[in-house]
Amino acid sequence: MNPRIPSTLNPADLLTRVNRDVERSILRARNGIRYARGTHRPTLGVTPKEVVWKRDKAELWRYQGGDRRYGPPVVIVHSLVSRSYILDLRPGNSTVEYLTRAGLDVYMLDWGVADELDADNDLERYVDWYMPRALDAARAASGHEEVTLAGYCLGGVMAALYAAGHDDANVRNLILMATPVDYSEMGAMVALLREGRLNPDELIDETGNVPADALYSGFYMLAPTVEVAQKATLLENLWNDEFVEGFQAMATWSRDHVPFPGAAFRQLVDLLVRQNILMTGSMPLGSRQVDLAAVQGNVLNAMAERDNVVPPPAVEPVMQLVGDPFRREELRLPGGHVTFGTGRSAFKHTMPKLTGWIIDHSDTPS
Amino acid sequence: MPANQPLWLRAVIRIERAIGEPIESAVRSDTYFDVISATTRVRRKVLGTAEGVSKRCLHLLNLPAGSDIRGMRQQLARMERRINQLSHDVAELDEDESGPGVR
Repeated sequence: MNPRIPSTLNPADLLTRVNRDVERSILRARNGIRYARGTHRPTLGVTPKEVVWKRDKAELWRYQGGDRRYGPPVVIVHSLVSRSYILDLRPGNSTVEYLTRAGLDVYMLDWGVADELDADNDLERYVDWYMPRALDAARAASGHEEVTLAGYCLGGVMAALYAAGHDDANVRNLILMATPVDYSEMGAMVALLREGRLNPDELIDETGNVPADALYSGFYMLAPTVEVAQKATLLENLWNDEFVEGFQAMATWSRDHVPFPGAAFRQLVDLLVRQNILMTGSMPLGSRQVDLAAVQGNVLNAMAERDNVVPPPAVEPVMQLVGDPFRREELRLPGGHVTFGTGRSAFKHTMPKLTGWIIDHSDTPS
Repeated sequence: MPANQPLWLRAVIRIERAIGEPIESAVRSDTYFDVISATTRVRRKVLGTAEGVSKRCLHLLNLPAGSDIRGMRQQLARMERRINQLSHDVAELDEDESGPGVR
């Protein structure tokens, strides 16, 4: 190569770049048409699974594909506001798949899509009725007395209440992923409700639930213009099949909210948001007071540093409130709220660190 | 911002941030919250009034209104929920009688 000719002007390089650009233009056109038509959407949540327990709309799935070398089983409790496939988004980009391939026996407690029948479901119904039964089913299916219980977002609150509120919970490890406990730090997400501008009943529709659209609007308004930059980035990467697939998967999930059961929503607003009751370290549940410090076992408080849905200050007090002070650990992850399920950061940091922690606190293979 | 991004994309992202940041602070302001709560209340009030008028008209013709159907659906849902609960209770009693290990 002539050193006086810049590499960009080198005829061979130039030809390669022209070829690449032509190829990318063709791929952009093809993927653009597919995207506009809405065809070739990725299939989501495809890690093989079987339903091991079901009551009403709640289902417990057991994932297959790994050799299940470690115990106790890992039971993931999902939130009530979004779809659980965020943790099993696409093959090769799925937390569930990663955990399963590492040799863990993974279960997911999915709440389904609430309708009129679920309008009266309160937190007691989830924590004291569904969860004990689902976890018994996981224990029976796995043959272990204990469980590793992992809750994501509001699912973390339910997991903590279950672990603290049941003497027979047998939770060896409690993993709280982006679990809000200090609702005064939740920002715009709850400001309308916290300051009494809106009452919960003003958001509940004729089915008795908060409609999915209202929840989507709440999330959308956190960053209303960011979609422009996302679409521009998509345009630039439209030639890249994997990028387009990932983009479509995330776009589908972020619009795919589920109605929030009315009774649980009223409790959430009154107790968690307005009274910020979790910060007192205990919460009334049914006819008793549940003390968060009563959680037995190891506690991992995992948070995402750039989470704008559940900001770290809302999560940090877990380290003062939940479980035994000597058995609490904190895990700070780069990335946003979805880093627990998808993205480059998830694959690089979240999945290996979470899996490593669980394996370190599990029984080693015999 | 990744260094290999083309100039046009960098420009779009910068413009988006320049516009987006003030909008994001606006949608976190008290004024915005007041507007949203007022809009929600007005919308519910207007819908309620329209529904009340149409309900009276339909009842004059001895026809059920949407709110009647809604009420009935809610009652049905409560009843279905009660039946589901009873069937779960019965199933659990059966399981208990069948002995441990049976699910």
